[in-house]
Amino acid sequence: MSHAEQASEVSEQHGLTVRQYLMIGAALTVITIIELAVSYSDLGSAMVPILLALSAVKFVVVVAYFMHLRFDSALFTRMFVGSFLLALAILVALVSLFWADSHTLPLK
Amino acid sequence: MAHATAGHAPAHHRTNTGTDNRKLLMWFFLGSECLFFGSLIATYLIFKGDSVVGPFPHDHAGEKGILDIPVTSTSTFVLLMSSVTMVLAVYGAQHGLQKMMKLSLLATILLGITFLGFQTYEFRTFGHEGLNLGTNIFGATFFVMTGFHGTHVGVGVIYLSSLLLASFRRSGLGPEAGFHVETAGLYWHFVDIVWIVIFTVVYLIPT
Repeated sequence: MSHAEQASEVSEQHGLTVRQYLMIGAALTVITIIELAVSYSDLGSAMVPILLALSAVKFVVVVAYFMHLRFDSALFTRMFVGSFLLALAILVALVSLFWADSHTLPLK
Repeated sequence: MAHATAGHAPAHHRTNTGTDNRKLLMWFFLGSECLFFGSLIATYLIFKGDSVVGPFPHDHAGEKGILDIPVTSTSTFVLLMSSVTMVLAVYGAQHGLQKMMKLSLLATILLGITFLGFQTYEFRTFGHEGLNLGTNIFGATFFVMTGFHGTHVGVGVIYLSSLLLASFRRSGLGPEAGFHVETAGLYWHFVDIVWIVIFTVVYLIPT
């Protein structure tokens, strides 16, 4: 078996091919350009949810494919998703608790 | 032979989780980093739009916003591309492709340094325009959050540089090259996803 064949076989077990990684990189770039276009457009109240959704797509793609979470042990996925959800819960709790206060306290 | 097998799935000690404890530790660390950056981003969001004196991040009451979106978009693209080169370095290491691994690691390091250059330029520009940690609540939350992220990028550059230097030894990165580069890659990609969030929250979403 040639070296290239060995490499291809192993990539199937552990991740994607070089071409697929490059295509993902291109897709991430396109999403970033769309984000920029959205931020300069006048979409009103729809702008923030769209930007957050696009950002979430990029986040998930990098974690799943570049960090190999999709192909790796489910234990890592549970650990990372658990930590991320905990961080998200803390973020929501802090913003909910202090948002009103920050608008009434005298700030610089 | 060593060339062909170098970097394939590391033969780690048997563990009751069935995974390599060192990799598990890296994921634990990244989990804790989620909480760290989550708190910093929450703090930024709580005080977003609360500054009563300028400079303001976005256009405010006829005053032009201080954030330079095109410049930061370029630095975001640079960091995104560094993730692509990083994953190619991991691919090279796991498949015993030494030249690909070294070149990709070098590219990742250079892109990381370029990102830091953009951040230094941004910080200096803000300083010249009168924005620093004590100017207003935007300056305080912005510099702490992006400063910590930049520090993480700097640590990543040192981490990858040490791997690149070690790969030039006679024994290279050893039989676990794929594991070492993959673990470093996890850290680097995490730094990238943190920036994906910061870029959206700070730069793209207006006050």
